[in-house]
Amino acid sequence: MSADAPILEMTDVSKRFRTPGGFGRRRNGFLAVDGVSLRVERGEALGLVGESGSGKSTLARMANGLVTPTSGTVRTDGQDVAALSRRGLRRLRRNVAMVFQDPLASLNPRQTVRQTLENVYRAHGETTSTGELVALLESVGLGPDYLGRYPHEASGGQLQRVAVARALALKPDLIIADEPTSALDVSVRAQILNLLADLQRDQGISFLHVSHDLAVIRLYSDRVAVMQRGRVVETGPSDEIFRSPQHPCTQALVAATPEAELPT
Amino acid sequence: MPDPVLQVEDLSISFTSGGVSADVVRDLSVTLDGGRTLAVVGESGSGKTITGRAIMQLLPQAASARGRIVVAGREMLSADERELRRARGSDVAMVFQDSMSALSPYLDIGAHIAQAVRLHDRSVSRRAARLRAVEMLERVGIPEPADAVRRFPHEFSGGMRQRAVIAMALVNRPALLIADEPTTALDVTVQAQILALLRELQQEFGMAMLLISHDFGVVASAADDVLVLYAGREAEYGSLRDIFEHPAHPYTAGLRGATPRLDARLDSNGERTRLRAIPGAPTSLRDAGAGCAFAPRCALADRVGERCVVEVPLPTLRTASTDGGVHRAACHLDRLPTLEEVAR
Repeated sequence: MSADAPILEMTDVSKRFRTPGGFGRRRNGFLAVDGVSLRVERGEALGLVGESGSGKSTLARMANGLVTPTSGTVRTDGQDVAALSRRGLRRLRRNVAMVFQDPLASLNPRQTVRQTLENVYRAHGETTSTGELVALLESVGLGPDYLGRYPHEASGGQLQRVAVARALALKPDLIIADEPTSALDVSVRAQILNLLADLQRDQGISFLHVSHDLAVIRLYSDRVAVMQRGRVVETGPSDEIFRSPQHPCTQALVAATPEAELPT
Repeated sequence: MPDPVLQVEDLSISFTSGGVSADVVRDLSVTLDGGRTLAVVGESGSGKTITGRAIMQLLPQAASARGRIVVAGREMLSADERELRRARGSDVAMVFQDSMSALSPYLDIGAHIAQAVRLHDRSVSRRAARLRAVEMLERVGIPEPADAVRRFPHEFSGGMRQRAVIAMALVNRPALLIADEPTTALDVTVQAQILALLRELQQEFGMAMLLISHDFGVVASAADDVLVLYAGREAEYGSLRDIFEHPAHPYTAGLRGATPRLDARLDSNGERTRLRAIPGAPTSLRDAGAGCAFAPRCALADRVGERCVVEVPLPTLRTASTDGGVHRAACHLDRLPTLEEVAR
């Protein structure tokens, strides 16, 4: 573990999914990610954009070991993920947390918020106190009364806060957020995005933020990587990418994004 | 002046469950002329989708509508099933968000469109209906339409399916098209194409369009007028320009501030600008209290005072209309709110 290593470094990573033969599919499978190299520096928010099928979610899942790359190396905190033992992988997952698109689907409907959060600690052989859980909920803007609630008793925005609290429980260095606000109402989306931005600023947590929404990525990422057909076609500081996109794919995305503004 | 294509007067929609009835939409009134697009904007529980379905008279069993809905001169609420069958398709048609569930997996694309043709005119032969399908697919920009009619929904991409659904909806030249989040499931580049197609067809056919959307970006690029719904009631109605440049309801202003912009700049400290979030979560009419449903989330409710929590504000005309159109807002505040006031 070295302090100067990037929190996440992917080198020439590819993922080929095997597809059943026949049915007009190529028999050698589907190359979802094709030789991607990218890094997330400490404290940085990297935005990953691209159209559906571009491989951005697969790439994000390889970053925390949910998907095993077909080739290439993934290092978190300087450590090669492929070389990790089961125990090592467990340590990795407390350091790299994940927030998904649909909070209702990512929380167990039969567990209260308290049980959901306690299970995170238990899975890593730790115990926790009510005071700790209350403080955790407070850090995501929820009152202590949420501890006793079931997922169906909360709104989408509140549930996404619970999902963020779960990700924060073990004080990770990196949070991978895959479309964390796509399922939320417009007025609630801003709350969650601001919460994530605060966590980055105040706690120094790094983010890999996957989204199809360029305007969201524009506001909440330091750097941006644009994916197309499994490849990263352009990377750079967020301001530059959106001010003068270089690759035709980025240009098309920027041009097609409708502005919530009227022509003057 | 010709009669408007769509007239909605004092529309309320209620759901009955276990003998108890509760309104989800109350006292909506709006008119829409041919060739114009009205965007209906709202969040969860606002009643935007159920309103679209009420106009089509496609409400679920448990729901019922009161008031008046007139489409192309036809009273929809008192129409019998035969009349409604005639109206749907030829007077009013609908395009949904999820094109896959709007199409039968067992029928090829041509059969869907031909069926829509023959449902409204039995005198059209099967062969002629099939030819109309080919023409219509060509009109919505599907390449090799003669071949495409024989394809099945699963063989099309999402964008192509949405084009096919639009062809199906418009083949009988309806006076009104209701498009419920028609591009939400699509990639942005495809979304732009579909919106352009809808605009083009609207001009060609002169139809009125009710565009249901949660996305101010889509609204800005497609609408003439905007109706903002909150918890089943009209919050604000006005021209696109009034709604965007002089929002009179704190909720409308708040939504604008909560919408990320691609052209955002760094502020003077070199920090990224944050969105202004509205606190709390959207509610529905059923869960709304006695006064204004937005009051619990409204930063200005304190300034107006007790009135906001005891009296439901009714839509009233605002004078500050930039283009002479009707501009209404349902808010006790007697001036325009500023963006800074409504959210943090």
